[in-house]
Amino acid sequence: MKASVSRSARLLRQASLPRGACTALLVSAATATTLSAQTPTSFIVESPTMQTGVLMPRDYSPDGRNVSPPLTWRGLPEGTRQIAVLCQDHGAGRPPPWVHWIIYNIPGNAAGLPEGVPFEASEPMPDEIAGATQGNNGWGLPMYRGPAPPGTSLHHYHFAVFALDAELDLPPGLTRDELLEAIEGHVIGLGSMVPLYRRQPADSGPFPFLIPEDFDERR
Amino acid sequence: MNDDDTREKRDPSVISRRDLLRTAGAASAAALVPHSVAAAVPAETIEPGAAASTGPSIGTAPAPTGPLMNLTARETEILSAMVDRLIPSDELGPGAIEAGALRFIDRALSEAESDSAGAYRSGLAALDRYSRYSRGAAFVELSATDQDSVLIDLQTGAATGANVGFVGSSGSFFNMVKSHTWQGTFGDPHYGGNVDFIGWDLIDYPGVRLQVSEEDQRQLEADELTPVRRSAYDYATFRAGR
Repeated sequence: MKASVSRSARLLRQASLPRGACTALLVSAATATTLSAQTPTSFIVESPTMQTGVLMPRDYSPDGRNVSPPLTWRGLPEGTRQIAVLCQDHGAGRPPPWVHWIIYNIPGNAAGLPEGVPFEASEPMPDEIAGATQGNNGWGLPMYRGPAPPGTSLHHYHFAVFALDAELDLPPGLTRDELLEAIEGHVIGLGSMVPLYRRQPADSGPFPFLIPEDFDERR
Repeated sequence: MNDDDTREKRDPSVISRRDLLRTAGAASAAALVPHSVAAAVPAETIEPGAAASTGPSIGTAPAPTGPLMNLTARETEILSAMVDRLIPSDELGPGAIEAGALRFIDRALSEAESDSAGAYRSGLAALDRYSRYSRGAAFVELSATDQDSVLIDLQTGAATGANVGFVGSSGSFFNMVKSHTWQGTFGDPHYGGNVDFIGWDLIDYPGVRLQVSEEDQRQLEADELTPVRRSAYDYATFRAGR
């Protein structure tokens, strides 16, 4: 465990992330590495519209269209047969984390997730992620629901992407715990992205897209 | 490909929100039936003239028309769109609008639910403000998918944080309208909703029965039972109690 945490820390330093993001990432990376007997390989998770440590666009929140954000990944370990994605807020929930999104049974050859995955189970998934299924989020809904942190607080949203060594054919509606249990022993790779969000209520000023340099000090 | 084909090819493990509603609605309708229905009552108490299960009955007024009494035109438009998404008309049958849930709510706002009139007024205004703020258009102008997404934001309380004027949580407003929509769709037609027993047909409710014979029970289990479509208040037993 100790080895994997320090390895993650090294990876994070290389990526030169803001400190807040590092904390969130470390906690969950440490959790995730216990899932597999072998230490998972790290791979890159990116998004055309989001960045680690930067406020995500309001369209991925209830201040906007509340559609799921697009993600891409590369450098998946050889032997990846399936992919699962979890979005969670380690600064919310009793106990944390609060789960915003769970999607799995994603084909191992998918290069990412498109924006706006259907939130009705009866609607078909886009071709490139055919077969993908959504689990139940913190509201008990099998869909993406974006960040709605209380007041004007700034929260971290940890997107964890798991590369799995098997086609698991998991049933719809799994909770986070059920998913983590189901993929235990199958996680051969792990990638993460940690964008931020702060509510922009209708009565506030212009939307602050970038967080100030001294954010960590002022918190 | 017709609707039936589509439905049969649908993955059985995929349950739509509408399917869930069907299940939940059955329980809701059962709960709305007067409590004493469960008790065995002699068959002779049925009104002699009210034998037909499909004809007009005294407890079922025809669907009223004309403007609503308590809601403005603008409020009516927004509420109508919301009610329509809660129980939409689809391949399973007519929905809440056809069942008269909107008029049921409007009427209730000057009767049993008069305390809720203010909550409707402020809630509908906040819903429209939230829709314009987050989705860039009035609620009635959004696509069905976007309307559903907005309503889910209300339901989860996420619309509260947008500061658009929900009093308390947006979830309270959502739950209030949902309850009234269910009452207006699945409740006894005596109260002004469930027009033409649309709600009961939707959930295959067997109907109000004063007694259930062994044969009825067998038919029910075999899915062969002809449903009774009469208001509970067509039975002298229940009228007497009012």
